[in-house]
Amino acid sequence: MRRYFFEILAVLLMGGSLYFFVECIHYLDQRDYISGIILLFIGLAVISVGREMARLALVQKD
Amino acid sequence: MPAATPHARTPDASLGRWRTFADAVAGALGVNLWVSLVLLPGFVAGSLRTPPAQLAAMLPLGVLGLGVWRRSEVVLLLGYPAALMVPVAFAPEMAQVHVYGPIRFAIVAIGLVGYLFGASVFTSFREPPPPVSRRPLASSARPVPPRWQRRFRVYTALTALSLVFPLVLVYTINFDQTAREFMLRRYPGRVASLTTIMNLGAVSFWILIYFWFFLGVLRAHRTGDRDLLADLEKIRSQGQRARPGPQFYLGVACALILMVALLVLRHG
Repeated sequence: MRRYFFEILAVLLMGGSLYFFVECIHYLDQRDYISGIILLFIGLAVISVGREMARLALVQKD
Repeated sequence: MPAATPHARTPDASLGRWRTFADAVAGALGVNLWVSLVLLPGFVAGSLRTPPAQLAAMLPLGVLGLGVWRRSEVVLLLGYPAALMVPVAFAPEMAQVHVYGPIRFAIVAIGLVGYLFGASVFTSFREPPPPVSRRPLASSARPVPPRWQRRFRVYTALTALSLVFPLVLVYTINFDQTAREFMLRRYPGRVASLTTIMNLGAVSFWILIYFWFFLGVLRAHRTGDRDLLADLEKIRSQGQRARPGPQFYLGVACALILMVALLVLRHG
């Protein structure tokens, strides 16, 4: 059960980080550079957590 | 133990037919890309009226033919996509956003991805001649273990996400109504150059993301290259840890702190 949890979480986090990158583009459009950069780093933090979840999903024992 | 079975009667002929089929598929995918990227936009923009423009438009087909004839990965995967940019460079109006609506953009993107996949798969026929006899391994008759099923699922999900990421970023920059309106209002007269810069930034950003995160998680699974064995041995111990590493906690902490900072900045 735990391995499915890791798989789903990895896809959700890596896919969900895209939302922050898209929002980053919107904020940069509005010349809100500080918020845009913060959103960029939030996206990077979320995708790095997703990568860790994907790694855990791959190393789970049967 | 299963007995050795004779191979096909004429392996060379079979391989030759398969290679011809592969060449035909790569050629068809390449021509499809040329039609959607050069020919149709050229007709729509009216930029194929002069002989030099027509010559530039025909250049990619020559490169494609050379690549298929030589079965060269470099020509097919690098030379042909680069040659497709030559007629666009001669007539930039072919690539203007009004030529590419969201639907046509999606069709061209699917055509490009299909061509790159097809060319990379169908040019990788470097197998040695088939053996005289084959003896299937006993393990091949067993069902695929759950561990490998799970790995294939993760590989598939990462592949799908690696297609979604660049498409969404490029779509947001070029076609998202809100983004376009902001650019038109804030940067009048400079929308085209700003769009180009943002597209280049999105592509560069995506390459970094792909290298760090998508390839990063698969680094421990790349076992086909002998030169990587030393690196693999070094990172195997890291990859087999069944507990979250420091990057997990660092990522969670950074995400939370930055979200709070953003909330304070926007609404504080």
